[in-house]
Amino acid sequence: MKRFTLFVSLLVTLSVILSACAPAATEAPVVEPDAPATEAPAPVVEEPAGPVVLRIAYSSTIDTWDPIASFSTEAAYLPNVYETLLKINKPGSAERYTPVLAESWSVSDDRLSYTFNLRPDVKFHDGEPMNAAAVKASIDAVKDHGGAGFIWWSVDNVEVVDDLTVKFNLSTPQPIDLIASSMYAAYIVSPKALEGFAADENFWADGKSYGTGPYMVESYTPDVEAVFTQNTEYWGGWEAGQYEKVVASLVPEATTRQQMLEGGEVDLAERIPNENLSTFDNDPNYTVFREPSFFNYIAYFNTLRAPLDDVKVRQALSYAIPYEDIINIGASGLGTQSFGPVPAGVYPWDDSVGQYSYDLEKARALLTEAGHEGGGFSIRMTYTASNASEEAFAPLIKDSFAQIGVDVTIEALSLGEQLKLARSGADAQDMTLMLYWPAYADAGADNLWSLFYYTEKPSWNLSYWNSPEYNALWDEASALSGTDFEASKAKYVEAVKLLVDEAPGVYFYDTMAVYVIPNAIGGFEYNLNYPFWHFDYYNLRAAQ
Amino acid sequence: MRAFEFILRRVLTAIFVLIGVSLITFAISHVVPTDTAALYLGSTRARPEDLERIRLKLGLDRPLSVQYAIYMGDLIQGDLGDSIATKRPVLQELTDRLPATLELLFFGMFMATLIGVPLGVLSARWQGTWADVIVRIISIVGVSMPAFYLGLLMQIAFFRNLDLFPLSGRVDSNLRFTNPIDPITSFFLLDTFLTSNWVAFKDVFHHLVLPGFTLAAYPIGLIARMNRAAMLEVLGQDYIRTARAYGIKERVVTYMYALKNAISPTLTVIGLTVAYALTGTFFVEVIFNWPGLGLFTVRSLLALDYPAIMGMTLLGASGYVLINLIVDLLQMWVDPRIRLQ
Repeated sequence: MKRFTLFVSLLVTLSVILSACAPAATEAPVVEPDAPATEAPAPVVEEPAGPVVLRIAYSSTIDTWDPIASFSTEAAYLPNVYETLLKINKPGSAERYTPVLAESWSVSDDRLSYTFNLRPDVKFHDGEPMNAAAVKASIDAVKDHGGAGFIWWSVDNVEVVDDLTVKFNLSTPQPIDLIASSMYAAYIVSPKALEGFAADENFWADGKSYGTGPYMVESYTPDVEAVFTQNTEYWGGWEAGQYEKVVASLVPEATTRQQMLEGGEVDLAERIPNENLSTFDNDPNYTVFREPSFFNYIAYFNTLRAPLDDVKVRQALSYAIPYEDIINIGASGLGTQSFGPVPAGVYPWDDSVGQYSYDLEKARALLTEAGHEGGGFSIRMTYTASNASEEAFAPLIKDSFAQIGVDVTIEALSLGEQLKLARSGADAQDMTLMLYWPAYADAGADNLWSLFYYTEKPSWNLSYWNSPEYNALWDEASALSGTDFEASKAKYVEAVKLLVDEAPGVYFYDTMAVYVIPNAIGGFEYNLNYPFWHFDYYNLRAAQ
Repeated sequence: MRAFEFILRRVLTAIFVLIGVSLITFAISHVVPTDTAALYLGSTRARPEDLERIRLKLGLDRPLSVQYAIYMGDLIQGDLGDSIATKRPVLQELTDRLPATLELLFFGMFMATLIGVPLGVLSARWQGTWADVIVRIISIVGVSMPAFYLGLLMQIAFFRNLDLFPLSGRVDSNLRFTNPIDPITSFFLLDTFLTSNWVAFKDVFHHLVLPGFTLAAYPIGLIARMNRAAMLEVLGQDYIRTARAYGIKERVVTYMYALKNAISPTLTVIGLTVAYALTGTFFVEVIFNWPGLGLFTVRSLLALDYPAIMGMTLLGASGYVLINLIVDLLQMWVDPRIRLQ
């Protein structure tokens, strides 16, 4: 018995020694003097005299804190810390843009230069002034090594006119106001941070804030949480009811997030499992928002080889896709059949381009016309292994194609592997399923170019579809985008019509963004144009 | 002297084990087809020139054997490389998370010992009675119940329905504003105890109970069964009969005379399950969002973050080797017969 006790005490000692070797996991947070919390026996439930805190369970990972490099899901957090020159309003708003760091802007008559007049007296979190030089430095940095730096391809140089005036000189007319409102590669960052990164590539590793936004990063514990605190100097000012602190808990498990929300451990949660939404639909304490999103599912046909080089065969297969079932199985019904590769609501979406219906008779007839009566060929189809939706709906395509005599082999690959295979040209798979979204609110400049514009060396245009007519239409639309928006859109729509008619790809469905918001929290607004920025802390209001 | 020689031999073998592990992990993580440079940049849509720059930076353009040699060279100097996903040194990532995992592990194993050993004794002492049957059912359920399933059941029962314990995490997020924990050892239970931060102590303890028990379920079953078998063997021996014949109280016979001799094999099992439970924390940490090594490893695996995977595998293997060594030494100390061999 004594030895047993010894063993236990040994374990304890060992634990103490081991822990002494380990460095402190978290820095002690900077907090006002302890609130006395001694009198009540129930400590956590009782609201202490602490700050007004908003607690959110997030699924979005933070791949980087670098606002220049950011091109992933950290866009859920960064727009609360960093600001762009302009913000693009949600579709249907009276004004297209809200001025943020720019107060006003103008375009030259030849459309080759954009002049932005900056907001005076704005300071970065580190105290540096936000001015024309800082804007130039940020855009130059993002052009040089930004994750989505390509969005500035048309900008020759950024010119500092005076302290608060900055001019973008273009090589070809492009909508710089739209590009400047991007959720990627358009943040204005303190020059001190840019210098810091130039000196040390790991500058951003621990979570820092060098922006102008309403919130600052207070602390960051990887895999656990990020804590944000009010930037008391924020140029927009503060009013009662806004949150002083935001604790973003990183919770990868969807059901755990849901339970945390229902159990009151958090005030808001990202991405509740679709199959559980009905619980919230019937609960008077919550409002469920189902909104169009930026994302859509497509498939490329490999048009390099027979029989998919035949437009009739591609059309036949497009008629043999069970769109309704795919939406029901792949997205629990939370989606709408696509009109070409532009997601619903995103510029330049237009429903006049038409869609394919699910019509096996038509499919069989088209196959016969193409000289493949009763099918008789086989197709190798790949999807991204980590994508649960694709995994769920891929077999539906196989079943349906089997009914018109086309045999499908399904392969699950990692995204990297899938892209590599698809880029291998003649050896590539026949069909590649893909989830795609534009880098900023312009599917004309992004989706229509990236996915189907023919280039010698393929990048994301993996159908190898070479249509000079389409390329010409896109070129015209792009050239017009900086001068005549309506004419540009008309050209884009023509191009999409061609995509639908010639079917170099299948356009399955546009997904929906779903938010479950407790009624106790005010100020939530969904903006399709910032699909990753789920919660704008500055707009949210605590329950009274 | 014997002990010294023994330790030396074990340490030397351990080095070869670790080299083997590193070789296998390195090979596996590098044959998996993936674009490490794209992972590093956090996006599959990165520009070709950026991808090329990262490939050069990470040395991905070199032959695999050279990459391995560089990795091992750095490893000897205590450098496990930088994580692809977080860009921070892997060693720092691991040491930052180690206390959370160890706290959970020790708490779980403490619970397992505290529950498992008496269950085994109980079951042996009343062999064949309803108490024995119940203990045997408990241990079978404990051993066979998958941790992720048990974890979910615990959450549903004790958080959702009874609201007795928190759902997930290590500490309530409000505490950082009201009763911040001073991370002296980074073992929060110990830290809050040392600083007399009782509000936080209670909260930390509450957060430990469900994941701790989920982790303990398997060891409880194993320890109870092992201890039962060992006790039965010992209780059937002559000296126990003699003790009983002397009229010594049954409780004294059981705990003072029998348990003392039955504990040695149980100790081995406890030691080995510590190593096993280390892997068990992977499931438990994911279910309970426990910010430890398991959660980090699962995330690294999903992201194919090979420096992190390598680091964790090496740490796990070292842990296994170390725990086995400790168990052997403890046994030598508890059981003089082993020392004499």
